[in-house]
Amino acid sequence: MTADASKLLHDLKSKCSSLKSAAELYKNCSAAEKKEMLALMTAAAEEITRTLAALSKLS
Amino acid sequence: MEKLNILVLEDDKLAQKVMAAQLAGHGVEIAGDLKTALKKLETARYDIGFFDLMLGPSDDYSGLKAIAAAAARGVYAVVVSSSDSNEIIDRAYELGARDFYAKGNEESNVAEILRKFAQGRKAAKASDIFSAAFITGDPALKEAVTEALKYAPSELPLMLLGPSGTGKTSLAKVLHEHSGREGAFVAINCSAYTEDLLEAELFGYRKGAFTGAADARKGRLLEAHKGTLFLDEIGTMSLNMQMKLLKAIEERSFYPLGSEKPERSDFRIISATLENPQELISRGKMRFDLFQRVHGYTVDLKPLSERPADVFLLAQHFMKAGRRLSFTAEARQRIADYSWPGNVRELKKFIDLLSSGGEGRVGLETVQKLLKGSPVRAASVAGGLEEVYTDALSRGLEAALDMVADELIGRNLKENGGVRTKTLADLKISTRLLYASLRRMGELPEEKK
Repeated sequence: MTADASKLLHDLKSKCSSLKSAAELYKNCSAAEKKEMLALMTAAAEEITRTLAALSKLS
Repeated sequence: MEKLNILVLEDDKLAQKVMAAQLAGHGVEIAGDLKTALKKLETARYDIGFFDLMLGPSDDYSGLKAIAAAAARGVYAVVVSSSDSNEIIDRAYELGARDFYAKGNEESNVAEILRKFAQGRKAAKASDIFSAAFITGDPALKEAVTEALKYAPSELPLMLLGPSGTGKTSLAKVLHEHSGREGAFVAINCSAYTEDLLEAELFGYRKGAFTGAADARKGRLLEAHKGTLFLDEIGTMSLNMQMKLLKAIEERSFYPLGSEKPERSDFRIISATLENPQELISRGKMRFDLFQRVHGYTVDLKPLSERPADVFLLAQHFMKAGRRLSFTAEARQRIADYSWPGNVRELKKFIDLLSSGGEGRVGLETVQKLLKGSPVRAASVAGGLEEVYTDALSRGLEAALDMVADELIGRNLKENGGVRTKTLADLKISTRLLYASLRRMGELPEEKK
């Protein structure tokens, strides 16, 4: 595996872990916090998609 | 838990939010990049720092620099990582990281780290322990106990060695109190039971499991769930029982007598034995695999005769609960010379007897009456040539010279961290003399004849 692919995978795991932890926290958030959390989770999901696209270009 | 000042170095916005939520209630500052983190470390005081190592997809583990800076300022540095190599994690530890967790499941990971930090801080205040919960002024024992306290919050099993009455149960309780475990401290003296009774005591039983089992009973293993199981005199347990216990430790589950339903228990083991476990293994009295499971960190409790300074410290402590006594100079000398074969337990009984007696100022006659026919502590080099001479007249020159050699060799070994080759060179002695001394000091098994 190339160094770039390795770093992309690392980044992917990190973002997925954050998304999972955020999803676990979500149910206990207030309405305002839920809105903010959803925005951050959506942005993270978009970054995950971009990382996956970058990874597929390398393979 | 007290409010802590915490720094989080994390470039990912969502991860920042997650950490802030998990650390709610503490003073949390977030740094999104290395430069900000280093600046914050320079200008504020933090208790803990959580450091992501790779700050961005193309970053080259620049978080390591923040760990070094934090460690230099005494911050409890924690590596937060998703999938870094062992090499990178090792590097983080070399730079001063104190803990590590893999990203994900933050709720339990962060809580566990905060718990360990709080317990570690408690252990650092160990000096309080030595004047109350576990009294000693002996530097070597203090050092060993302080080291053991560092492991108290971990899952590591602890083993306490020492003769009867040296305070193994007291120390086990102190270690449990510093473990942060929410369950109970459950102690059992294995030597007090026959094999069948010990099995019933440890694992419990169902109603009617055997004659006399009129009611079901919860075993000690279950009572120690989320707590500490203190197995005193573990060396007296039969090999069969050791095998059953080993299985329960490994699987964290066991069957109460007469039951087909397994019970689960998350207990931490602290064990104690009067005898050297290596000797027990070599004599076939202890299973090696059980020993491996229970001996994570070992504390050797010296007999009271080898820590004479503790005699009056402990006596003062025991007197706090009852009457204040004072001793004549002769009485003090007799107490100091006594070998206390029953150790702290015997001293406690001695003070209790004096406290309930009629004298406020205790003289030699009373002390001699209570310690009648009891052995006197062996001479020591510290007592000077006169004491060695008296010892030689009493036990013979060879025995007295052996004692001198043992003290000098023991001191040198301690000073050079136990490196025997260095002691051979330092003291210019033969291997034969060194090993004979080590055998006399109990550091090596007796030579086979």
